[in-house]
Amino acid sequence: MADGVNALAWRLARRELRGGLKGFRVFVTCLALGVAAIAAVGWLGSAVVGGLKADARKLLGGDVEIRLMHRPTDEAQRSYLATNTARLSESVEMRAMAHAAASGGERTLVQLKAVDGAYPLVGGVTTVPASPLANLLGRDGGMFGAVVDPKLLAKLKITVGEPTRVGKATFRVAGTITAEPDRVTSIVNFGPRLLISTAALAETGLVQPGSLIQYYTKMMLPAGADFASWRGQLDTRFPDAGWRVRAPDEAAPGVKRFIERLTLFMSFVGYTVLLVGAVGISRAVSGYLQGKVRTIATFKCLGSPAGLIVRVYLMQILVLAAVGIAIGIAAGIALPWVALSFLKGLLPVEPVIALYPVALVQAAAFGVLASVTAALLPLGRAREVPARDLFRAAAGALGNRPRPRFLLAVAVGIAGLVGLVFLSSTDKWFALWFVVGAAATVGALALAGALLLRFSRWPRPGNAVLRLVLANLNRPGTSAPGVVLSLGLGLSVLVAVVQIEGNVGRQIAERLPEKAPAYFFIDIQPDQVEAFERVVRSIPGVSDLQREPTVRGRIVAIAGKPVEEVAVAPEAQWAIRGDRSLTAAASPKADASIVAGDWWPADYRGKPLISLDANLAKGFGIGVGDELTVSILGRDITATVANTREIDWSSLRFDFAIVFSPGVLEGAPHSHIAAARATPDAEAKLERAVTDAFDNVSAIHVRDALAAAAELLDGISKAVSAVAAVTVAAGAVVLAGALAAGQQRRIFDAVVFKVLGATRRRIAGTFALEYGLLGLITAAAAVGVGSLSAWGVVKFLMRMDWTWLPWHAATTVAVALAATLVFGLAGSWRILGLKAAPYLRND
Amino acid sequence: MNAESNSSPLVRLGRVELTLTSNAGPVHILNGIDLAVDAGETVGIVGPSGSGKTSLLMVVAGLERASGGAVEVAGAAFHELDEDALARERGRNIGIVFQDFHLVPNMSALENVALPLELAGIADPFRRAEEALVRVGLGHRVQHYPGELSGGEQQRVTLARAVAPGPRLLLADEPTGNLDGETGEKIMHLLFDIQAEHGTTLMLVTHEMALAERCRRLVRIGDGRIAEDRLQDAKSASHG
Repeated sequence: MADGVNALAWRLARRELRGGLKGFRVFVTCLALGVAAIAAVGWLGSAVVGGLKADARKLLGGDVEIRLMHRPTDEAQRSYLATNTARLSESVEMRAMAHAAASGGERTLVQLKAVDGAYPLVGGVTTVPASPLANLLGRDGGMFGAVVDPKLLAKLKITVGEPTRVGKATFRVAGTITAEPDRVTSIVNFGPRLLISTAALAETGLVQPGSLIQYYTKMMLPAGADFASWRGQLDTRFPDAGWRVRAPDEAAPGVKRFIERLTLFMSFVGYTVLLVGAVGISRAVSGYLQGKVRTIATFKCLGSPAGLIVRVYLMQILVLAAVGIAIGIAAGIALPWVALSFLKGLLPVEPVIALYPVALVQAAAFGVLASVTAALLPLGRAREVPARDLFRAAAGALGNRPRPRFLLAVAVGIAGLVGLVFLSSTDKWFALWFVVGAAATVGALALAGALLLRFSRWPRPGNAVLRLVLANLNRPGTSAPGVVLSLGLGLSVLVAVVQIEGNVGRQIAERLPEKAPAYFFIDIQPDQVEAFERVVRSIPGVSDLQREPTVRGRIVAIAGKPVEEVAVAPEAQWAIRGDRSLTAAASPKADASIVAGDWWPADYRGKPLISLDANLAKGFGIGVGDELTVSILGRDITATVANTREIDWSSLRFDFAIVFSPGVLEGAPHSHIAAARATPDAEAKLERAVTDAFDNVSAIHVRDALAAAAELLDGISKAVSAVAAVTVAAGAVVLAGALAAGQQRRIFDAVVFKVLGATRRRIAGTFALEYGLLGLITAAAAVGVGSLSAWGVVKFLMRMDWTWLPWHAATTVAVALAATLVFGLAGSWRILGLKAAPYLRND
Repeated sequence: MNAESNSSPLVRLGRVELTLTSNAGPVHILNGIDLAVDAGETVGIVGPSGSGKTSLLMVVAGLERASGGAVEVAGAAFHELDEDALARERGRNIGIVFQDFHLVPNMSALENVALPLELAGIADPFRRAEEALVRVGLGHRVQHYPGELSGGEQQRVTLARAVAPGPRLLLADEPTGNLDGETGEKIMHLLFDIQAEHGTTLMLVTHEMALAERCRRLVRIGDGRIAEDRLQDAKSASHG
């Protein structure tokens, strides 16, 4: 029976669709835009993560990687690893300063990597000139060779074949690196690569106790070996090694996290495109069904049950949704291809171009749910079209109130969409924020639309044109609230993106350089401290020198529980991901802000105590009196939290999340880290003086680091802005659809104006005023909503200072005005030239 | 074929009231209409504009629910049925001819006529639809769309659509209202011919006395009441 009804409904739907897609262009466009945005973002994200997975062994440099801080593996460990693996390669990484060998030449921070003869175990290093690595790095004429990132040559103003000095050793630049298999293009690079041999490293004199050196052992497991059991045996044999062991599935966790987070943000913008599209879909379906009122009434007169009518039109909507989704999916696949041609070389890995069904199915599911949900209310109203209208001369209208079951179905549809957002999001908290924010934004813009209607009824100005404009805004069937909602949503996203970008950019370009030190210096040996301070203080324009002893350590237990078993809050996850810099101090810094507990007496020598960052304490779920265990050089040190401090990390202040009480680190080999401010003139002098005097000390130029961060931010904001622009485009499509739907009314208005003696200029002015007012109100609402969202993100998510940027907001107002005026007047231009007589005769 | 005996009226209205709400307050459209129409009867319904004659037709068609009283058509108590049941009753027993034709623009003449047959689940709808179109003289226009037909042709399609399922009751609301005199005359001939062929009951709403007088019975409505209900002599009620 139901099959028969569906077959009949399908036959009727097919006949109805012969009328073409004219009334559904906005529907299909809105849906295609939304689906394309979601599919493109999901596909691109999957392709990059797929690239990470595909190259995982290459990126890791083998089947297993072991990393130790400060110290290499000992003899027993090395022997065990050599016996229990097929092959292994040892390498060392650290930051260092490379100098153009000529005295007084250029110098720069480099990422130094020293490799043995077995390197690389997977893939190959590509160099110019092409030659085996051993040849390039070997000793020739008493000088070891080095291959470098071409950027280093530019920075040092040297060429291949010329010497460069690193520490106490001078290297011959034997070539440049084109590809390094186990180096993921870092998100932010603090220095170019300089690759030397392990044998050469000893000659640099950079390997000092406590220096920030990472020792890697990369291994290929014997054929058929299982990583889990191999790891189990390793842990049993060396339970206290204190090393970090990684398998290929964690080859580049930082990059993976970054890509997933960026994909997440851009997905949310994609969902917003679909949300805007849903407004357009709902309006398009309403408009289409409005034009079908008489057909629907005829069906009813001929004996069609209301349910059949709903099926007939629902099937048409599903067919059109399929068209829109297919276009969206096709565009969603095609767009990343275009994007990839621009992103070549900028992505951390080579994306894997493949079909990612999950991303595409997700986009399609969003499309189906959004289109059906948006169409349900108009369908419910169509169901209530009274058949008696056929006997009346006046054009019929859709029923006013859909049945409760349709309202329930809409609620289920919205719940489904929300569920899909959660299901598709890797971060449920962000998903919750997005859903709440989107609901609040829709609510605020709907309220703005309702207020617009109310106030356009309220004042009745004396000016006839203005009166007419206001009357047009609130006439029955007005599109004004829909335009405020759809265009407003797109513009709100744009305002939020622009305001966040502006605030972060301002923070990096203006605020941080004001507050942050000019340089950080690392790897200062304890016996160099006195000389270092003397050199720094001797340079005019240098001030505020701060220095602390430091050692790297990893948090292994929180309040007695292994860190893997503790539910650490997302904002505190960074602290448990790897090694952190630790220090010890007798007294707090002068500007320390202790929020709980007390600092220990300056002469304290008791059980280990810790002063902990208050936000970390909150994220760890611990407080004063709880214990924290930190692994330092393979030794676990458990200390009690004595106090917590509020630290504003966004100021790049010289501080430590974990400060031990005196005595804890004294036995451990450690180095010192220092920071100093400098006037712009003194910056170069400071770097030269320190790096000339101390071969092993590396200088990190904060301005360079900020520039690298700014460059990264610029790239991210371009990507997010591109997707946000699609939101505005979707809003513009809805706007164009709404204006097109009102075309007949405008023709009639223009005819009446002409009859009453209005010139074309005057008519155009009236239309322009109406569109301008609509654009202005939409922009005002969007600026309010977008700014509020941006304030929340900047203040609470990024924990930065917030400044409302009026020029950025003005840009949005201009975009809104331009959109409404251009779309509105473009549609009305033809009307102005129409002759009145034919319309009067027809009417 | 009829379940009822010939003595049982096909349409029975008992004390039918129809009150509609408007911004200005309730409007009483029909005020206690009592009417019985026998199977095979032709009834012309006349009255001034706003008298309630079209509303009466809507109540009989089940398109308007009476505010009070009883409505029975072909043995079904319309006042007790829900919307979908009323739609099914219409599909089975009632054909309607509108002043404005109300053809579905995206369907050909054949598909328009087949539509009620398909909705009623009648077998072989397109063959029957084609026969109906041939009967109204449009055998050569079956694949044409409404926009490609003249007003008179569209009304013929409407007529074919109304009679194709073989309804027991034919309702016509100003069927010539949108047609010129000559075309209107042809349509009326066709309407009465078909009615006579099938013995269908006809209720014809019109403001033209000449048309109403072709019916066997004439009902005059005024202020929502039956002001006159009389049988006409067989001579004047001519539809041949």
